[in-house]
Formats: sequence, C-alpha cells, structure tokens
Amino acid sequence: MHRILLTLGFAAFLTLPLTAQDMPLSQILPEDSQWELVAEGYEFTDGLTTDAEGNLYFSDVKGGNAVFKVDAAGKVGEFIPNAPGISGLKWGPDGRLYACVSKEQRVVVFGKDKAVTELAKEVRPNDLVVTHDGNLYFTMTPTSEIRRIDPSGKMTVVSSGVVTKPNGIALSRDQGTLAVSDHGGKFTWTFRIEPDGTLAHPGNYMTLVTPGETPEVAKGDGMTTDIHGRYYVTSAEGLQIFDPTGRLCGVLPAPDPALPIVSCCFAGPDQAWLHVANGGKIWRRKTTTRGALGFEAPKAYEVLPK
Amino acid sequence: MNRHVLFLLASLTLGSPLFGADEDYVPGPDAMVKEGVPQGKVTQHTFKSTIFPGTERDYWVYVPAQYDGSKAACLMVFFDGGGFVSEKGSFRIPTVFDNLIHAGEMPATIGVFVNPGVIPPAKEGQEPRKNRSFEYDSLSDLNARFVIDELLPEVGKTVKLSVNPDCRAICGNSSGGIAAFTVAWERPDAFRKVVSHIGSFTNIRGGHVYPALIRKTEPKPLRVFLQEGENDLDNLHGNWPLANLQMEAALKFANYDHQLVMGTGKHSGRHGGAIFPETMRWLWRDWKTLQP
Repeated sequence: MHRILLTLGFAAFLTLPLTAQDMPLSQILPEDSQWELVAEGYEFTDGLTTDAEGNLYFSDVKGGNAVFKVDAAGKVGEFIPNAPGISGLKWGPDGRLYACVSKEQRVVVFGKDKAVTELAKEVRPNDLVVTHDGNLYFTMTPTSEIRRIDPSGKMTVVSSGVVTKPNGIALSRDQGTLAVSDHGGKFTWTFRIEPDGTLAHPGNYMTLVTPGETPEVAKGDGMTTDIHGRYYVTSAEGLQIFDPTGRLCGVLPAPDPALPIVSCCFAGPDQAWLHVANGGKIWRRKTTTRGALGFEAPKAYEVLPK
Repeated sequence: MNRHVLFLLASLTLGSPLFGADEDYVPGPDAMVKEGVPQGKVTQHTFKSTIFPGTERDYWVYVPAQYDGSKAACLMVFFDGGGFVSEKGSFRIPTVFDNLIHAGEMPATIGVFVNPGVIPPAKEGQEPRKNRSFEYDSLSDLNARFVIDELLPEVGKTVKLSVNPDCRAICGNSSGGIAAFTVAWERPDAFRKVVSHIGSFTNIRGGHVYPALIRKTEPKPLRVFLQEGENDLDNLHGNWPLANLQMEAALKFANYDHQLVMGTGKHSGRHGGAIFPETMRWLWRDWKTLQP
C-alpha cells in the first residue's frame, strides 16, 4: 500500500514539470453562470473598476457626465457628477479614485471629498493602473506610449513604439508584471516592472484570436487579472482569457456581439463577479475566481493554484 | 456479457493510474552505467538571451569521451534539458550516449540540454515570468533563431559542432516535442532529425495546424520520430493521441522518413525514456554514411 502511494506520488512529481496547470473556461464558470444585466441606458460604457467592498464604478465615455456606482444591492447611481469623458478608472492605495479623462486630455485624481486634482495635462490617456506602491501607469493609444506618474507626481515615458496602439492595462497579481493590450495588433504584451518603476523586457506573451477579416488586428481593449494569475482582455472577438504562462484558456463572446466590449473587471460579493462594458450596457456573471486588486498589497505565492 | 466485463476491466487497467501502464515503462540496460564503457563529460552553464529579452536559463553540454577536438562532431539538442541530462530521470541521456557511441550504434554526438527561459522577478516575493510556452508552443522561427544564432555559437566556442544538418538532431517532450519539430521545420538547413515524445501538436498556441501544413507544403528533408501514449492528455488545447496520429498520417501522406510509436502511457516521459536507445538506433541508423 505504502509503496503504491509512494510510486504514485513520485510519478506525479515526475510529470509535473511537463505541464503547467490547464485552465479551461469550465474552471472559471460555474455551470449556471450566465450573463446578467447590471445597468443599461448609457451610450458607451467604459472604465469599469472596483473598490475593496466590491462596489462597481464606471463611466459613460461618450454620452455621460458622471462617474457611476453600482452598490452591493445592485442599485445604480451617480458617484461623481460633472465628470465627463472618462475612459479609465482605478482606486489607488490612498483611497482616491484616479481617472483618464480622455476628452480633456488629462489624468486626474478624485479625492475623498470628490474634489478633482490634475496629475497630467496635454496627454492622450486611455486607461490606467495604480500599483500598491503608488505608481500610476497609463496607456497613450494614439502615440504608442506607456507613461508613468510616480508617487512624487513626476511623469515619464516608460515604453514607446513597442505596442502599436496600447489600450488596456493590467497588473499581474504579484504586481511584478504589467500587461498591455494592443488595439492595433493581435498581441497582449508583458513588461517586468523594475524596482525603480521603469519597464523592462517586453514580450508579446499572449496571442489573441482575431476576426477573419482582420487576422492581424484583435482590437485588444480593457483588461483585468485574477488571483490565480489569469489575464482577461476584451477584444473584437469577445473577452479573451489567458493563463499565467500566456496560453489562451478561451473566449467569452460579448453578451451583445453586435456592440463593442471594451472594459472588464471583477466586482460584487467576494470580487467574484466578472463585469463587462458592452456598448450602452453593463453585464456580469458569476465566476469561481476573484479579481486581483492593485490597491491591495500584492499576493503572490499563497494564492497559487495547485 | 463476460467479454464486455473483461474489456471494461482491461480498459480500466490501461487507463487507471492505480494499475499504472505508465509506471511499467522503465529505463533499460542501455540507460545503466556499464563497466568498461568510456564516460563523456557533462558541464553546466547559464545563458542570457537577447532574442527572448530578459530570459535566463541553465544549459548543459555533454562531450563524449570519443571526441578529441580534431574534427567536428554530430549534435543533438534537448529542450527542457535538465530532465534529459539527469542521471536519475526517465532518459539518462549521457549514459545512453556513452553506451551507444561505444557500441558503434550512433556517432560520437555532443549533447546540448537547454532549459526554457525564465524572466526572474525584479523584487523578492514576486513570481518569475515563465517563457516556456511562448518559446516552445509558438509557430515561428524565434526559437530556431535562439538555438542556431545564440546558443550554439556559444557552445561552439569550446567544441566543434557539425554543420551538416543530417548530423544534427533535436528532441523534446510535450511542448518541447513540438518545439523540436518547429526548429527543424523552420530551419531544415540546420536540423534534419527530430525526436518528439508526447508532442503537443495541439492548439496551445496554434500547433494543431502542422498536419495540414505538412500535407500542403513541399516536403522537407526531415527524419521525424514520434512517441505517444493512448492515455495522454485530452484537454482544452486538444487531444494528444489524436494529434500525434494526425501528424503520423500527414508525414506518411507527404512521404517523410518517419515513425510513430504509440504506447499506453500518459503525459510523461517514461515511455519515451524506456525506448530511447531504440529510438537512437533508428534515428542514426545510417550514421556511418554521414560526414560530420
């Protein structure tokens, strides 16, 4: 008996290096998981993000004039009025809400009193992340740049010309890797975040499924990550999900495939509900995983799946 | 009824890890150190690539005792090299090479055992970015360029490697298996002998298209050995036994010099390791006619 168990254990050990863990869609989605409508009546929803309590925040980048909030009970309301043209939102570790105001070509932060402070002007920001140590990275889609605003407020270009049209941006769960989707190509890129906040070692780590008519352009857009190391990328073909080694787990078609799907994030109870912005509507569905939160201290090994 | 039960039992026996067909595959006498057989030397090194920016990896070089540096030697490259070079694994390549070279069943061959790249974390507590799938599963010439333009010139500083592609073989397991095929497919001027065990000719990153490509591409002068197991993976990327059968059928259709050995194993190197000396005899069967 013991010898059989030992042999089995040894065999499992031997086969381990050959296979990174497989992460099929069925691992993420419970059997009864369906898209559910969260909010509707907007022109072009974008900028989905969550806070520590699982409330959802979003913008209506084309038609709206506010940052909206969906609370735990599913009630939708205005959170910050008079804030039009926002394409990216993230909460920082300081409890403030950072925003890419693409319409005004600036990056701002809303304080706890909702007062706005400008962090950068005359820029072309699309989407952003804020790390636990207070570095802000944002994409500049038209100029092929990724920029950083450090905790002192200084802005630098940290990548130029690598990603054709940098759009979505996300932090790995350990915050050691920055992932950036490409609206003008078929890859999602990864960079190592150096101790000084610069980016190194770009790799076209993830290859997206592309539409038949544009085989080289996936229209990669808003991104998020989960606690098991997966990357989620919205695109022309839907929401594409990758495992931590860059292998495609699968594609979830948009709830309404006729409309663009441009932003995604986990929110809701236990941060277990995957939300997407799909035209004028926001949808969600239950998952078996949870979102990785940039404003929290990075969690690495303790949440690795077996 | 009885026959049905018997068949079920047989299927269970083959399919269940408890009865372990996979564990029945063990290294044979050619993988054991034999008295009087000269032993080659293995050295360990590290390599930083620029083709795969930021990656670091270990590699090992086996130089047979018969190599005296006077002329170039045949070459065999192994992906996931650490497993192949180990004296305790399923393959034990240095010992197999010692024995077969001594017996005249394969040429004096330099072994290069290279691991996949890792981009180490910048800060303590962070995870490395594992580059294995990107390097091995992608259908492109990138990994071939890494081997041919970066790694082998470094190895070539200390030993003379044959430039005759018929004297250069490449081998791997799983994603390393498709990677070995991809290198030879992209660069038949550099490698013409391929050994794939439990090869991932599946849709991890598009590798399932090889059977179709093989059928509609002018045949390349490759010799291809495939090992596969009936109980290998069936997952989101594909079905490994079916994929290898498709490879075999395509190689046959396009008239390649090829062989598939289908066993009853799972996704492990055990079967490939158990038959590896026989694989080498088949792969190098005409080595005495070759000019390294």
